Amino acid sequence: MSGRDQRLFDLTQPPPPAAYLREAWRRRDFAIQVPAQDLRAQNMGTALGQLWHLANPALLVGVYFLIFGVVIDTSRGVENFLGFLIVGVVLFHLTQRVVVDAAVCISRNLGLIRSVQFPRILLPVAALNGQTAAFVPALALALVAVIVTGELPSLRWLALLGVLAAQFLFNLGAALLVARIGANVADLRQLLPHLFRLLFYASGVIFSVDAFVTSEAWRRVFALNPLYDVITCARWCLLGEPVDGWVVAGMLAWCLVLPVAGFLVFRRSDQRLGA
Amino acid sequence: MASNTAVTVRVDEAHVYYRVYEDPAAGIKKLFSEGRTRRRFRTIRALRGVSLELRESETLGLIGANGSGKTTLLSAMTGLLPLESGSILGRSRPSLLGVSSALRPALSGRRNILIGGLALGFTKSEIETRADEIIDFSGLRDAIDRPMRTYSSGMRARLQFAIATARIPDVLLIDEALTVGDEDFRRRSAERINEIRSAAGSVVLVTHIMAEIDRYCDRVAWLDEGILKAVGEPGEVVGAYLASTAAC
Repeated sequence: MSGRDQRLFDLTQPPPPAAYLREAWRRRDFAIQVPAQDLRAQNMGTALGQLWHLANPALLVGVYFLIFGVVIDTSRGVENFLGFLIVGVVLFHLTQRVVVDAAVCISRNLGLIRSVQFPRILLPVAALNGQTAAFVPALALALVAVIVTGELPSLRWLALLGVLAAQFLFNLGAALLVARIGANVADLRQLLPHLFRLLFYASGVIFSVDAFVTSEAWRRVFALNPLYDVITCARWCLLGEPVDGWVVAGMLAWCLVLPVAGFLVFRRSDQRLGA
Repeated sequence: MASNTAVTVRVDEAHVYYRVYEDPAAGIKKLFSEGRTRRRFRTIRALRGVSLELRESETLGLIGANGSGKTTLLSAMTGLLPLESGSILGRSRPSLLGVSSALRPALSGRRNILIGGLALGFTKSEIETRADEIIDFSGLRDAIDRPMRTYSSGMRARLQFAIATARIPDVLLIDEALTVGDEDFRRRSAERINEIRSAAGSVVLVTHIMAEIDRYCDRVAWLDEGILKAVGEPGEVVGAYLASTAAC
Protein backbone atom coordinates (compact mmCIF):
# COMPACT_ATOMS: atom_id res chain seq x y z
CA MET A 1 0.00 0.00 0.00
CA SER A 2 1.16 3.52 -0.61
CA GLY A 3 2.85 5.82 1.88
CA ARG A 4 -0.03 8.29 1.60
CA ASP A 5 -2.14 6.17 3.90
CA GLN A 6 -0.23 7.18 7.02
CA ARG A 7 -2.86 9.74 7.88
CA LEU A 8 -5.58 7.13 8.23
CA PHE A 9 -6.82 6.46 11.76
CA ASP A 10 -8.97 3.70 13.20
CA LEU A 11 -12.60 4.80 12.91
CA THR A 12 -13.92 2.14 15.27
CA GLN A 13 -11.94 3.36 18.27
CA PRO A 14 -13.47 5.92 20.65
CA PRO A 15 -11.63 9.22 21.10
CA PRO A 16 -9.43 9.50 24.23
CA PRO A 17 -11.06 11.03 27.36
CA ALA A 18 -9.57 14.51 26.94
CA ALA A 19 -10.69 14.71 23.31
CA TYR A 20 -14.07 13.34 24.37
CA LEU A 21 -14.64 16.12 26.90
CA ARG A 22 -13.34 18.75 24.48
CA GLU A 23 -15.76 17.57 21.80
CA ALA A 24 -18.65 17.50 24.29
CA TRP A 25 -17.82 21.06 25.35
CA ARG A 26 -17.56 22.23 21.75
CA ARG A 27 -21.04 20.83 21.13
CA ARG A 28 -22.54 22.24 24.34
CA ASP A 29 -25.12 24.30 22.41
CA PHE A 30 -26.81 21.00 21.56
CA ALA A 31 -27.43 20.21 25.23
CA ILE A 32 -28.86 23.68 25.82
CA GLN A 33 -30.84 24.54 22.71
CA VAL A 34 -32.42 21.17 21.96
CA PRO A 35 -34.11 20.78 25.38
CA ALA A 36 -35.14 24.45 25.21
CA GLN A 37 -36.90 23.80 21.89
CA ASP A 38 -38.49 20.66 23.31
CA LEU A 39 -39.87 22.63 26.25
CA ARG A 40 -41.45 25.05 23.80
CA ALA A 41 -42.92 22.23 21.73
CA GLN A 42 -44.36 20.56 24.83
CA ASN A 43 -47.12 23.12 25.42
CA MET A 44 -47.74 24.20 21.85
CA GLY A 45 -51.40 24.15 20.97
CA THR A 46 -52.57 24.38 24.60
CA ALA A 47 -54.71 27.33 25.71
CA LEU A 48 -52.30 28.39 28.45
CA GLY A 49 -49.23 27.79 26.29
CA GLN A 50 -45.94 28.45 28.07
CA LEU A 51 -47.85 29.41 31.24
CA TRP A 52 -48.13 25.69 31.93
CA HIS A 53 -44.56 25.73 33.21
CA LEU A 54 -45.94 27.81 36.09
CA ALA A 55 -49.43 26.30 36.34
CA ASN A 56 -48.15 22.73 36.57
CA PRO A 57 -46.10 23.06 39.77
CA ALA A 58 -48.84 25.28 41.26
CA LEU A 59 -51.45 22.56 40.69
CA LEU A 60 -49.09 19.88 41.98
CA VAL A 61 -48.51 21.73 45.25
CA GLY A 62 -52.20 22.66 45.43
CA VAL A 63 -53.24 19.01 45.35
CA TYR A 64 -50.73 18.02 48.04
CA PHE A 65 -51.79 20.93 50.22
CA LEU A 66 -55.44 20.00 49.87
CA ILE A 67 -54.79 16.42 50.94
CA PHE A 68 -52.00 16.70 53.48
CA GLY A 69 -52.63 20.21 54.79
CA VAL A 70 -56.43 20.26 54.86
CA VAL A 71 -57.98 16.79 54.61
CA ILE A 72 -55.35 14.74 56.47
CA ASP A 73 -53.31 17.02 58.65
CA THR A 74 -49.66 15.96 58.56
CA SER A 75 -48.43 19.40 59.56
CA ARG A 76 -47.35 18.27 63.04
CA GLY A 77 -44.28 20.18 64.19
CA VAL A 78 -44.25 22.59 61.24
CA GLU A 79 -45.05 26.28 61.60
CA ASN A 80 -45.47 27.26 57.96
CA PHE A 81 -46.84 24.11 56.38
CA LEU A 82 -47.55 25.56 52.91
CA GLY A 83 -43.99 26.92 52.67
CA PHE A 84 -42.63 23.64 54.03
CA LEU A 85 -44.64 21.62 51.51
CA ILE A 86 -43.89 23.71 48.43
CA VAL A 87 -40.11 23.67 48.98
CA GLY A 88 -40.18 19.89 49.43
CA VAL A 89 -42.45 19.15 46.49
CA VAL A 90 -40.67 21.43 44.03
CA LEU A 91 -37.15 20.17 44.81
CA PHE A 92 -38.19 16.53 44.95
CA HIS A 93 -40.01 16.87 41.64
CA LEU A 94 -36.93 18.33 39.95
CA THR A 95 -34.75 15.31 40.71
CA GLN A 96 -37.53 12.92 39.83
CA ARG A 97 -38.09 14.55 36.43
CA VAL A 98 -34.37 14.61 35.64
CA VAL A 99 -33.92 10.94 36.49
CA VAL A 100 -37.02 9.75 34.65
CA ASP A 101 -36.03 11.76 31.58
CA ALA A 102 -32.43 10.53 31.70
CA ALA A 103 -33.57 6.90 31.92
CA VAL A 104 -35.11 7.12 28.45
CA CYS A 105 -32.74 9.62 26.83
CA ILE A 106 -30.73 6.91 25.06
CA SER A 107 -33.65 4.78 23.85
CA ARG A 108 -35.60 7.84 22.74
CA ASN A 109 -32.69 9.06 20.63
CA LEU A 110 -31.67 5.74 19.10
CA GLY A 111 -32.22 7.05 15.59
CA LEU A 112 -29.85 9.93 16.23
CA ILE A 113 -27.31 7.70 17.97
CA ARG A 114 -27.27 5.33 15.03
CA SER A 115 -26.78 8.02 12.42
CA VAL A 116 -24.63 10.74 13.99
CA GLN A 117 -21.34 10.42 15.84
CA PHE A 118 -21.24 12.69 18.90
CA PRO A 119 -20.36 12.34 22.60
CA ARG A 120 -23.43 10.58 24.01
CA ILE A 121 -22.98 12.38 27.31
CA LEU A 122 -24.80 15.27 25.66
CA LEU A 123 -28.08 13.34 25.87
CA PRO A 124 -28.33 12.93 29.68
CA VAL A 125 -26.91 16.44 30.09
CA ALA A 126 -29.63 17.76 27.77
CA ALA A 127 -32.25 15.97 29.89
CA LEU A 128 -30.75 17.58 32.99
CA ASN A 129 -30.66 21.04 31.41
CA GLY A 130 -34.23 20.82 30.11
CA GLN A 131 -35.70 19.79 33.45
CA THR A 132 -33.60 22.34 35.33
CA ALA A 133 -34.87 25.09 33.03
CA ALA A 134 -38.44 23.91 33.57
CA PHE A 135 -37.75 24.06 37.33
CA VAL A 136 -37.01 27.81 37.32
CA PRO A 137 -40.68 28.93 37.23
CA ALA A 138 -41.49 26.38 39.94
CA LEU A 139 -38.69 27.76 42.11
CA ALA A 140 -39.96 31.30 41.60
CA LEU A 141 -43.41 30.13 42.63
CA ALA A 142 -41.98 28.52 45.77
CA LEU A 143 -40.11 31.70 46.73
CA VAL A 144 -43.24 33.82 46.28
CA ALA A 145 -45.29 31.33 48.32
CA VAL A 146 -42.72 31.35 51.12
CA ILE A 147 -42.75 35.15 51.28
CA VAL A 148 -46.54 35.37 51.11
CA THR A 149 -46.84 32.93 54.01
CA GLY A 150 -44.86 35.28 56.22
CA GLU A 151 -41.12 34.52 55.84
CA LEU A 152 -38.80 37.48 55.42
CA PRO A 153 -35.90 37.16 52.97
CA SER A 154 -32.62 37.20 54.87
CA LEU A 155 -28.94 36.59 54.21
CA ARG A 156 -29.56 32.91 54.93
CA TRP A 157 -31.51 32.74 51.67
CA LEU A 158 -28.23 33.12 49.79
CA ALA A 159 -27.19 29.69 51.08
CA LEU A 160 -30.00 28.30 48.96
CA LEU A 161 -27.79 28.90 45.92
CA GLY A 162 -25.26 26.47 47.38
CA VAL A 163 -27.96 23.90 48.08
CA LEU A 164 -29.30 24.19 44.54
CA ALA A 165 -25.79 23.83 43.13
CA ALA A 166 -25.31 20.68 45.21
CA GLN A 167 -28.62 19.31 43.95
CA PHE A 168 -27.63 20.10 40.37
CA LEU A 169 -24.41 18.12 40.77
CA PHE A 170 -26.29 15.25 42.37
CA ASN A 171 -28.80 15.32 39.52
CA LEU A 172 -25.97 15.30 36.97
CA GLY A 173 -24.44 12.20 38.51
CA ALA A 174 -27.80 10.48 38.84
CA ALA A 175 -28.69 11.33 35.22
CA LEU A 176 -25.44 9.83 33.90
CA LEU A 177 -25.82 6.63 35.90
CA VAL A 178 -29.47 6.16 35.11
CA ALA A 179 -28.95 6.91 31.40
CA ARG A 180 -26.24 4.26 31.28
CA ILE A 181 -28.36 1.65 33.08
CA GLY A 182 -31.57 2.56 31.25
CA ALA A 183 -29.85 2.09 27.89
CA ASN A 184 -29.38 -1.62 28.58
CA VAL A 185 -32.09 -2.41 31.12
CA ALA A 186 -35.41 -1.24 29.77
CA ASP A 187 -37.08 -2.51 32.96
CA LEU A 188 -35.70 0.50 34.79
CA ARG A 189 -38.54 2.58 33.40
CA GLN A 190 -41.05 0.40 35.20
CA LEU A 191 -39.08 0.41 38.43
CA LEU A 192 -38.40 4.14 38.73
CA PRO A 193 -41.94 5.25 39.70
CA HIS A 194 -41.89 2.81 42.61
CA LEU A 195 -38.42 3.86 43.68
CA PHE A 196 -39.49 7.49 43.68
CA ARG A 197 -42.68 6.78 45.61
CA LEU A 198 -40.55 5.17 48.29
CA LEU A 199 -38.08 8.07 48.22
CA PHE A 200 -40.98 10.52 48.42
CA TYR A 201 -41.95 9.21 51.84
CA ALA A 202 -38.34 8.74 52.95
CA SER A 203 -37.51 12.36 52.10
CA GLY A 204 -40.10 13.99 54.32
CA VAL A 205 -41.67 15.88 51.44
CA ILE A 206 -45.11 16.02 53.07
CA PHE A 207 -44.26 15.65 56.76
CA SER A 208 -41.51 16.66 59.14
CA VAL A 209 -39.24 13.69 59.74
CA ASP A 210 -37.99 15.35 62.95
CA ALA A 211 -41.52 15.41 64.36
CA PHE A 212 -42.07 11.71 63.71
CA VAL A 213 -38.59 10.22 64.13
CA THR A 214 -37.06 10.94 67.50
CA SER A 215 -34.27 8.34 67.63
CA GLU A 216 -30.86 9.83 66.80
CA ALA A 217 -29.76 6.63 65.03
CA TRP A 218 -32.77 6.67 62.72
CA ARG A 219 -32.16 10.30 61.82
CA ARG A 220 -28.69 9.31 60.63
CA VAL A 221 -30.25 6.68 58.41
CA PHE A 222 -32.45 9.38 56.90
CA ALA A 223 -29.35 11.49 56.29
CA LEU A 224 -28.15 8.82 53.83
CA ASN A 225 -30.98 9.82 51.54
CA PRO A 226 -29.68 12.58 49.24
CA LEU A 227 -33.11 14.03 48.58
CA TYR A 228 -33.90 14.27 52.28
CA ASP A 229 -30.58 16.10 52.74
CA VAL A 230 -31.22 18.58 49.94
CA ILE A 231 -34.81 19.31 50.95
CA THR A 232 -33.93 19.68 54.63
CA CYS A 233 -31.06 22.08 53.85
CA ALA A 234 -33.27 24.13 51.51
CA ARG A 235 -35.94 24.38 54.24
CA TRP A 236 -33.32 25.60 56.66
CA CYS A 237 -32.33 28.34 54.19
CA LEU A 238 -35.85 29.56 53.48
CA LEU A 239 -37.90 28.66 56.54
CA GLY A 240 -35.39 28.28 59.36
CA GLU A 241 -36.36 24.64 59.89
CA PRO A 242 -33.75 22.70 61.90
CA VAL A 243 -30.84 20.95 60.18
CA ASP A 244 -27.94 18.93 61.61
CA GLY A 245 -24.38 18.20 60.54
CA TRP A 246 -25.16 14.70 59.29
CA VAL A 247 -27.61 16.06 56.77
CA VAL A 248 -25.17 18.66 55.43
CA ALA A 249 -22.37 16.10 55.26
CA GLY A 250 -24.65 13.67 53.46
CA MET A 251 -25.58 16.27 50.85
CA LEU A 252 -21.95 17.25 50.23
CA ALA A 253 -20.81 13.64 49.93
CA TRP A 254 -23.51 12.78 47.42
CA CYS A 255 -22.92 15.85 45.26
CA LEU A 256 -19.16 15.28 45.11
CA VAL A 257 -19.07 11.52 44.57
CA LEU A 258 -22.01 10.87 42.28
CA PRO A 259 -21.04 13.12 39.30
CA VAL A 260 -17.55 11.61 39.15
CA ALA A 261 -18.86 8.06 39.42
CA GLY A 262 -21.54 8.84 36.83
CA PHE A 263 -19.04 10.27 34.37
CA LEU A 264 -16.64 7.34 34.67
CA VAL A 265 -19.40 4.76 34.24
CA PHE A 266 -21.05 6.60 31.35
CA ARG A 267 -17.90 7.42 29.43
CA ARG A 268 -16.63 3.84 29.57
CA SER A 269 -19.57 2.53 27.56
CA ASP A 270 -20.20 5.60 25.43
CA GLN A 271 -19.43 3.92 22.10
CA ARG A 272 -21.56 0.88 22.83
CA LEU A 273 -24.72 2.71 23.87
CA GLY A 274 -27.58 1.92 21.56
CA ALA A 275 -25.46 -0.28 19.29
CA MET B 1 -9.34 1.34 -10.77
CA ALA B 2 -7.42 4.58 -10.37
CA SER B 3 -4.92 3.59 -7.72
CA ASN B 4 -2.85 6.76 -7.81
CA THR B 5 -5.41 8.82 -5.90
CA ALA B 6 -5.35 8.90 -2.09
CA VAL B 7 -7.54 6.61 -0.02
CA THR B 8 -10.17 8.31 2.16
CA VAL B 9 -11.58 5.21 3.85
CA ARG B 10 -10.23 1.67 3.90
CA VAL B 11 -12.42 -1.21 4.99
CA ASP B 12 -10.38 -4.34 5.56
CA GLU B 13 -11.97 -7.78 6.08
CA ALA B 14 -14.78 -6.27 8.14
CA HIS B 15 -17.14 -8.66 9.91
CA VAL B 16 -20.23 -7.33 11.68
CA TYR B 17 -22.54 -9.70 13.55
CA TYR B 18 -25.80 -8.86 15.26
CA ARG B 19 -27.12 -10.96 18.07
CA VAL B 20 -30.87 -10.87 17.90
CA TYR B 21 -33.44 -12.31 20.21
CA GLU B 22 -35.89 -14.63 18.55
CA ASP B 23 -39.38 -14.89 19.88
CA PRO B 24 -40.54 -18.42 19.10
CA ALA B 25 -44.27 -18.64 18.50
CA ALA B 26 -44.92 -20.64 21.62
CA GLY B 27 -48.39 -21.79 22.55
CA ILE B 28 -49.59 -23.58 25.63
CA LYS B 29 -49.43 -26.88 23.77
CA LYS B 30 -45.80 -26.39 22.92
CA LEU B 31 -45.07 -25.44 26.50
CA PHE B 32 -46.32 -28.85 27.62
CA SER B 33 -44.62 -30.79 24.86
CA GLU B 34 -41.20 -29.19 25.26
CA GLY B 35 -41.33 -28.56 28.96
CA ARG B 36 -40.45 -24.91 28.62
CA THR B 37 -39.82 -22.34 25.95
CA ARG B 38 -36.46 -20.76 26.16
CA ARG B 39 -35.25 -17.50 24.81
CA ARG B 40 -33.17 -18.06 21.75
CA PHE B 41 -30.48 -15.79 20.48
CA ARG B 42 -29.37 -16.01 16.92
CA THR B 43 -26.35 -14.46 15.32
CA ILE B 44 -26.97 -12.60 12.09
CA ARG B 45 -23.82 -12.26 10.03
CA ALA B 46 -24.55 -8.91 8.41
CA LEU B 47 -21.07 -8.40 6.98
CA ARG B 48 -18.82 -11.36 6.35
CA GLY B 49 -15.39 -10.09 5.41
CA VAL B 50 -15.87 -6.98 3.33
CA SER B 51 -12.82 -5.18 1.97
CA LEU B 52 -13.21 -1.93 0.11
CA GLU B 53 -11.32 1.29 -0.51
CA LEU B 54 -12.82 4.69 -1.06
CA ARG B 55 -10.72 7.16 -2.99
CA GLU B 56 -10.57 10.89 -3.34
CA SER B 57 -13.04 12.50 -5.74
CA GLU B 58 -15.17 9.46 -6.34
CA THR B 59 -18.79 8.51 -5.85
CA LEU B 60 -19.27 4.84 -5.10
CA GLY B 61 -22.67 3.26 -5.61
CA LEU B 62 -23.65 0.46 -3.26
CA ILE B 63 -26.28 -1.97 -4.55
CA GLY B 64 -27.72 -5.28 -3.44
CA ALA B 65 -30.96 -6.92 -2.35
CA ASN B 66 -32.74 -5.95 0.86
CA GLY B 67 -30.87 -7.33 3.85
CA SER B 68 -27.60 -7.71 1.97
CA GLY B 69 -25.73 -5.47 4.45
CA LYS B 70 -25.65 -2.11 2.68
CA THR B 71 -26.89 -0.02 5.61
CA THR B 72 -24.72 -2.04 8.02
CA LEU B 73 -21.66 -1.23 5.93
CA LEU B 74 -22.48 2.49 6.03
CA SER B 75 -22.99 2.43 9.81
CA ALA B 76 -19.73 0.55 10.28
CA MET B 77 -17.91 3.17 8.22
CA THR B 78 -19.04 5.91 10.59
CA GLY B 79 -17.59 3.90 13.48
CA LEU B 80 -21.03 3.49 15.04
CA LEU B 81 -21.02 -0.30 14.91
CA PRO B 82 -18.51 -2.51 16.69
CA LEU B 83 -16.68 -4.88 14.34
CA GLU B 84 -16.43 -8.56 15.10
CA SER B 85 -13.08 -8.56 13.31
CA GLY B 86 -11.27 -6.60 10.63
CA SER B 87 -10.60 -2.88 10.58
CA ILE B 88 -11.96 0.34 9.20
CA LEU B 89 -9.49 3.19 8.75
CA GLY B 90 -10.18 6.67 7.48
CA ARG B 91 -8.56 10.06 7.18
CA SER B 92 -11.67 11.69 8.68
CA ARG B 93 -14.88 10.41 10.20
CA PRO B 94 -17.46 9.81 7.45
CA SER B 95 -20.86 11.32 8.10
CA LEU B 96 -24.11 9.63 7.34
CA LEU B 97 -26.71 11.77 5.64
CA GLY B 98 -29.32 11.34 8.33
CA VAL B 99 -30.40 14.12 10.61
CA SER B 100 -34.03 13.18 10.18
CA SER B 101 -34.06 11.40 13.55
CA ALA B 102 -33.06 14.60 15.37
CA LEU B 103 -35.86 16.71 13.91
CA ARG B 104 -39.08 17.55 15.73
CA PRO B 105 -42.26 17.46 13.60
CA ALA B 106 -44.11 19.85 15.92
CA LEU B 107 -41.56 22.63 15.44
CA SER B 108 -41.13 24.92 12.47
CA GLY B 109 -38.66 24.30 9.68
CA ARG B 110 -36.51 27.15 10.95
CA ARG B 111 -36.25 25.70 14.46
CA ASN B 112 -35.51 22.31 12.96
CA ILE B 113 -32.60 23.81 11.06
CA LEU B 114 -31.22 24.83 14.46
CA ILE B 115 -31.83 21.40 16.02
CA GLY B 116 -30.50 19.43 13.06
CA GLY B 117 -27.45 21.67 12.78
CA LEU B 118 -26.65 21.27 16.47
CA ALA B 119 -26.94 17.49 16.13
CA LEU B 120 -24.40 17.66 13.29
CA GLY B 121 -21.94 19.54 15.47
CA PHE B 122 -22.48 23.16 14.48
CA THR B 123 -22.61 25.81 17.19
CA LYS B 124 -25.68 27.99 17.47
CA SER B 125 -23.97 31.02 15.92
CA GLU B 126 -22.60 28.94 13.02
CA ILE B 127 -26.13 27.83 12.19
CA GLU B 128 -27.49 31.35 12.43
CA THR B 129 -25.01 32.57 9.83
CA ARG B 130 -25.84 29.66 7.52
CA ALA B 131 -29.60 29.52 8.04
CA ASP B 132 -30.41 31.61 4.96
CA GLU B 133 -28.23 29.50 2.75
CA ILE B 134 -29.85 26.32 4.06
CA ILE B 135 -33.35 27.73 3.54
CA ASP B 136 -32.50 28.79 0.00
CA PHE B 137 -31.04 25.42 -0.84
CA SER B 138 -34.12 23.63 0.49
CA GLY B 139 -36.32 25.94 -1.57
CA LEU B 140 -38.76 26.17 1.35
CA ARG B 141 -38.62 29.87 2.14
CA ASP B 142 -42.42 30.26 2.13
CA ALA B 143 -42.97 27.28 4.42
CA ILE B 144 -40.02 27.67 6.75
CA ASP B 145 -42.02 29.01 9.72
CA ARG B 146 -44.68 26.34 9.49
CA PRO B 147 -44.53 23.24 11.70
CA MET B 148 -42.61 20.51 9.93
CA ARG B 149 -45.47 18.05 10.27
CA THR B 150 -47.46 20.14 7.79
CA TYR B 151 -44.81 19.53 5.11
CA SER B 152 -45.23 17.00 2.36
CA SER B 153 -42.78 14.10 2.48
CA GLY B 154 -40.85 15.62 -0.42
CA MET B 155 -40.55 18.97 1.36
CA ARG B 156 -39.38 17.26 4.52
CA ALA B 157 -36.75 15.31 2.63
CA ARG B 158 -35.51 18.51 0.95
CA LEU B 159 -35.13 20.22 4.32
CA GLN B 160 -33.26 17.23 5.70
CA PHE B 161 -30.90 17.08 2.76
CA ALA B 162 -30.26 20.82 2.99
CA ILE B 163 -29.44 20.60 6.72
CA ALA B 164 -27.38 17.43 6.42
CA THR B 165 -25.15 18.84 3.69
CA ALA B 166 -24.78 22.31 5.21
CA ARG B 167 -21.24 21.38 6.04
CA ILE B 168 -19.46 19.73 3.16
CA PRO B 169 -18.05 16.58 4.75
CA ASP B 170 -14.93 14.84 3.51
CA VAL B 171 -16.77 11.55 3.19
CA LEU B 172 -20.54 11.55 2.84
CA LEU B 173 -22.64 8.39 3.15
CA ILE B 174 -26.13 8.51 1.65
CA ASP B 175 -28.70 5.82 2.38
CA GLU B 176 -31.45 6.11 -0.23
CA ALA B 177 -32.07 9.80 0.27
CA LEU B 178 -31.99 11.18 -3.24
CA THR B 179 -35.13 9.59 -4.61
CA VAL B 180 -37.28 12.32 -3.12
CA GLY B 181 -37.94 15.82 -4.32
CA ASP B 182 -38.81 17.22 -7.69
CA GLU B 183 -36.53 17.42 -10.72
CA ASP B 184 -35.23 20.87 -9.73
CA PHE B 185 -34.23 19.66 -6.27
CA ARG B 186 -32.57 16.57 -7.68
CA ARG B 187 -30.46 18.77 -9.92
CA ARG B 188 -29.31 20.78 -6.92
CA SER B 189 -28.60 17.59 -4.95
CA ALA B 190 -26.41 16.42 -7.81
CA GLU B 191 -24.54 19.75 -7.67
CA ARG B 192 -23.97 19.32 -3.92
CA ILE B 193 -22.55 15.85 -4.49
CA ASN B 194 -20.28 17.18 -7.22
CA GLU B 195 -19.09 19.89 -4.82
CA ILE B 196 -18.00 17.23 -2.34
CA ARG B 197 -16.24 15.34 -5.06
CA SER B 198 -14.43 18.35 -6.40
CA ALA B 199 -13.27 19.16 -2.86
CA ALA B 200 -11.44 15.80 -3.06
CA GLY B 201 -13.97 14.03 -0.87
CA SER B 202 -15.80 10.74 -1.42
CA VAL B 203 -19.47 9.89 -1.54
CA VAL B 204 -21.08 6.49 -0.96
CA LEU B 205 -24.59 6.16 -2.29
CA VAL B 206 -26.87 3.27 -1.37
CA THR B 207 -29.69 2.96 -3.85
CA HIS B 208 -32.09 0.59 -5.55
CA ILE B 209 -32.57 2.92 -8.47
CA MET B 210 -30.19 2.18 -11.29
CA ALA B 211 -30.83 5.58 -12.89
CA GLU B 212 -29.16 7.14 -9.83
CA ILE B 213 -26.11 4.97 -10.40
CA ASP B 214 -25.89 6.30 -13.96
CA ARG B 215 -26.33 9.82 -12.77
CA TYR B 216 -23.90 9.95 -9.86
CA CYS B 217 -21.54 7.01 -9.58
CA ASP B 218 -18.00 6.42 -10.85
CA ARG B 219 -17.78 2.96 -9.36
CA VAL B 220 -20.26 0.43 -8.04
CA ALA B 221 -19.99 -2.21 -5.32
CA TRP B 222 -22.49 -5.06 -5.14
CA LEU B 223 -23.18 -6.61 -1.75
CA ASP B 224 -24.82 -9.99 -1.48
CA GLU B 225 -25.58 -11.55 1.92
CA GLY B 226 -22.77 -9.71 3.61
CA ILE B 227 -20.16 -10.46 0.97
CA LEU B 228 -18.87 -8.11 -1.69
CA LYS B 229 -19.78 -9.82 -4.90
CA ALA B 230 -18.26 -7.35 -7.34
CA VAL B 231 -16.67 -3.90 -7.44
CA GLY B 232 -15.93 -1.96 -10.58
CA GLU B 233 -17.30 -0.15 -13.61
CA PRO B 234 -20.95 0.83 -13.06
CA GLY B 235 -22.10 -0.72 -16.35
CA GLU B 236 -20.55 -4.11 -15.67
CA VAL B 237 -21.52 -4.47 -12.02
CA VAL B 238 -25.08 -3.24 -12.51
CA GLY B 239 -25.41 -5.59 -15.48
CA ALA B 240 -24.26 -8.58 -13.43
CA TYR B 241 -26.54 -7.59 -10.54
CA LEU B 242 -29.59 -7.22 -12.76
CA ALA B 243 -28.81 -10.52 -14.47
CA SER B 244 -28.68 -12.27 -11.09
CA THR B 245 -32.01 -10.83 -9.95
CA ALA B 246 -33.63 -11.75 -13.26
CA ALA B 247 -32.33 -15.29 -12.94
CA CYS B 248 -34.21 -16.04 -9.75
